[in-house]
Amino acid sequence: MTGLSNAKSALTGVMALLTAGLVLAGCGNSASSAESTEAVSTDAVQLEYWTPFSGGDNLFMTEMVDQFNQEHKEIQVVQMNSRLDDYYSRLRTAILSGNAPDVAIIHASSLPRFVQNGYIEDLYEPAQEAGLDFGIFNQTIMKASQFQGRPYAVPLDTHTLVLYYNKTYLSQAGLLDPQGKPILEQGETGFTSFLQQLKRTVPADVAPLAQPSTRIDSVWLWWSLYNQIEGGGAFYDASGTKAVMDNPAALKALTYINGLYASGLIPANITDAFKMFHDGKAAALITGVWATGALEQAEQLDFGVVPLPTLYDKPAAWADSHTLTIPAQHEMTPEKRQAAMIFMKWLAEHGAMWAEAGHVPSVSAVLNAEAFKALNYRSDYAAAANSVVFWPKATKQFSMVEVLIRQFERMIYREQTPEQTLHAAVQEIDAELTK
Amino acid sequence: MMIFTSLRRWLRNLPLARKLILVQVALIVVPLGAMGYFAFASFAGKIEEQVGKYQLQTLKQVTLNIDTYMNELNRLSLMPYQYEEILDFLASSRAPGQPLSLTEIGQLNNFVSKVFLNGRVDIMGISLVGDKGASYVVLPESQYMTTYQLEGGTEWLEQAKGKFGEPTFITTHEVQSTSGTVYQVFSIARELRSFDSGQILGYIAIDIDPKAVRNLLAQVSMGSEESLYIADSAGDLVLRKDQAAVYPPLGELTQEAGVSHMNVDGQSLLVAHVNSDVTGWTTVGVVPVAELTKDSLVVRNSMMLIGAICVGLAVLISVFIAFRMTMPLRKLRTLMRKVERGDLKVSFPVEQWDEVGQLGNAFNMMVSQLSELGYRLYETEIREKDAEIAALQSKINPHFLYNTLGSISMYAEVEGNREVVKMTNNLSRLLRYSLSGRKEIVTLRDEIEHVRGYMTIQKMRYEDRIHFGLDVEETLLECPVIPLLIQPIVENAINHGLDKGIGEGRINLACRRHQGMLAIVIEDDGIGMTSEQLSVIRQRLHHDYDLGGTSGNGLMNVHRRLRLHYGQQYGVQLESMPFQGLKVTLTMPVTYPMTETG
Repeated sequence: MTGLSNAKSALTGVMALLTAGLVLAGCGNSASSAESTEAVSTDAVQLEYWTPFSGGDNLFMTEMVDQFNQEHKEIQVVQMNSRLDDYYSRLRTAILSGNAPDVAIIHASSLPRFVQNGYIEDLYEPAQEAGLDFGIFNQTIMKASQFQGRPYAVPLDTHTLVLYYNKTYLSQAGLLDPQGKPILEQGETGFTSFLQQLKRTVPADVAPLAQPSTRIDSVWLWWSLYNQIEGGGAFYDASGTKAVMDNPAALKALTYINGLYASGLIPANITDAFKMFHDGKAAALITGVWATGALEQAEQLDFGVVPLPTLYDKPAAWADSHTLTIPAQHEMTPEKRQAAMIFMKWLAEHGAMWAEAGHVPSVSAVLNAEAFKALNYRSDYAAAANSVVFWPKATKQFSMVEVLIRQFERMIYREQTPEQTLHAAVQEIDAELTK
Repeated sequence: MMIFTSLRRWLRNLPLARKLILVQVALIVVPLGAMGYFAFASFAGKIEEQVGKYQLQTLKQVTLNIDTYMNELNRLSLMPYQYEEILDFLASSRAPGQPLSLTEIGQLNNFVSKVFLNGRVDIMGISLVGDKGASYVVLPESQYMTTYQLEGGTEWLEQAKGKFGEPTFITTHEVQSTSGTVYQVFSIARELRSFDSGQILGYIAIDIDPKAVRNLLAQVSMGSEESLYIADSAGDLVLRKDQAAVYPPLGELTQEAGVSHMNVDGQSLLVAHVNSDVTGWTTVGVVPVAELTKDSLVVRNSMMLIGAICVGLAVLISVFIAFRMTMPLRKLRTLMRKVERGDLKVSFPVEQWDEVGQLGNAFNMMVSQLSELGYRLYETEIREKDAEIAALQSKINPHFLYNTLGSISMYAEVEGNREVVKMTNNLSRLLRYSLSGRKEIVTLRDEIEHVRGYMTIQKMRYEDRIHFGLDVEETLLECPVIPLLIQPIVENAINHGLDKGIGEGRINLACRRHQGMLAIVIEDDGIGMTSEQLSVIRQRLHHDYDLGGTSGNGLMNVHRRLRLHYGQQYGVQLESMPFQGLKVTLTMPVTYPMTETG
């Protein structure tokens, strides 16, 4: 009977082992299931993308980013949007603290101060590797994003000043032609009489022309009109060490603008010109093309848009451009850089989508594409992209515009005359230049 | 009880192999099953407990994260106290629609920018509302279209009032921007007071994108069926993760943090919750218990599968072992059946020297003895047949012989020939005894009488040349013996001893007890035998059981009958020397008839 008991003990041993195995297997199982829940992140390259959009345009940008992420499983773009007012403070700090995003929107006017000291990367080689040809872009915009012949940014759009008008009020004033365009005489007087005609016909609480009393809007308008005058448009002297806009042409344009505020054609204390026009409380509005997308959403509003009227010798309108850049980072891997280029190229090529926000696409071919032509309003001002004026490419241009804003606000609030304004601005800018 | 008894009977009558299998399977299945059951039961319990703990821990972490975030907002909402001009602005008395001065705009813009820059990206709007009509609102989407809205929202204002400067967290609500887009925000609002006068100056509200907090929630994963949400003290939903279902067990969650079980719509739920001191909100995580046990079900199923495989293997092995172990027994049984049927040419192959081997060996020995016994039985039967035939032949008409002998005796009587009468009567008696039929057992007395009669005739034949001596113990006379034992030996002595000699001869017959045996000794003083002759006869006596040893030799006949009837140790012994006579000793057991001893 020894055989039997041996067999039994062997079996018991096997059973014990098996049971132990079962228990262990159970533990292993539960452990692995706990791990699997964490495995959400993939091998995709993550791109941090900073934007200064809000409102209308940001909704379109978010849509584009979502679509890009869907089409590119190997690249995941995470957008971080902040107010334009704070955006450059943030970006500056991030770059200085070595915490820069992988892709950042920078306005063409702000490029010079980021190109200096190599805060953003030269895109010549990365673009070649990604197969991005800079020849496809509008040449005016391209010039604004090139430094010493090297491309530092991929232009996304051009946004320029345009004139929005309320068709209802214009037709009431008899200022709307059968094509739905405003009937406008040439020159300062033509535009003034246009506004005066409106003022006579619209209700008392409706502004003939809406422009905010503070902020940059009046500066844009001044820069546009100053550039319409033959021989005007100079900001600095040839050496770039002195401001030169304390001149008759600049004064002529500024005096005209001051007159609009003073005569009440632009009412005082407007905090939100866009909202006024949007709510039907303004007959006309001079602002950037970005308002188109948002105004389209207003159901009560029947509006039209034309390029900024030429009051002087030649058409010109302030413009800037959203450009895509790669802020310099220590640990930028080639894979990330390549992913960033792919993303930037994709955004530029999908300009028609971006145009829905109101902007004029940067890629010339997109302007002729059916998708763009199908959009209302945009074609009305697409041509204006050819006669735009950017700010001079000076590293401190941003601060100089701030100076202008402060001085202009004082003028609008009746604290100084146009002459004093230009004089004070030039002095302040000169002082800034010598710093 | 009946069932138990019948079960026991059934078990007892079960073949050995099945008994073994049954016992082994019971020994395997019962402990394995019990172990599996307890392992799984404790495992499932542990899992639930662990998940509960983990859930609570996770919620605490999330709540802590949210609290940290909220504290940051809390600090931001204190910023107006560091800006005297903002406090002045809030304290200023204003008519509805009164425009702001350029300085005020600059100061407010500067303040708001600081809040935005020092705060988080997800701040969407800031509202400053003075107690005396001052108001400054920055709405979401205020890029180039910053709004200075002089009439503030009132809902949050009401909530912030009367809190003595403590912050209020306002659950997700909607804010419409200038362009008409509706934004979901939640806000922190605070009453601002003057230190000098103690008067209420106004209120600040900071709007935050709920996405930021939602992201904090989204980092937590409790399972696909989970529900994770935050509710305020009134039980209203603040926000939830994705589109998770909100279970309504809020009212019952009283203590600060804990895990509890709840039954909602027949679904068992594991509910963990943590209350926040900062916001006064409750973070609740709900996981259906079924979701938890889903994992353990997999474990259980795999345990059962592996268990079944193991049991199957073990059963297979135990069946094999049982059959292997009982195989020799079954073989033995088959062999026994063969033996039962009379086939004795079988042999059990002994391969191992365990109990079974020993049993097989014993069986082999038994069968070989059985076959020897059977052979002898067979031989005996044949002999008896022969003897019977011989008897039948000699019985040919014995009555005729008796009658004839009777007539001869009568004639001799008439003639007065006493010798003839005596001889004839003795002969008749001799014949009668010899041919008396199938008597198996006679007494020694009968045998002695028979020999005496025979000797009377022989004496007359040999004219008293023969002297016959008889020496029998009286007590032995009633001993049962097989018939016709002595007479053939005496006849042999006369034929071989006396007939060949001349002169007188002497034959002595002695019966005595010797070492528990009955010894019948017949001695003659004839020519005897040479040692060669003697050894030939002894050889034949020794191999008497050889078949074919049926020669009519009386000596051999008696010897064989003795051995067949009484056993190997009995029989005929011879002693002789040439010319010194022959001494024949018959040995057999001394037995007494039952009637006399009993």
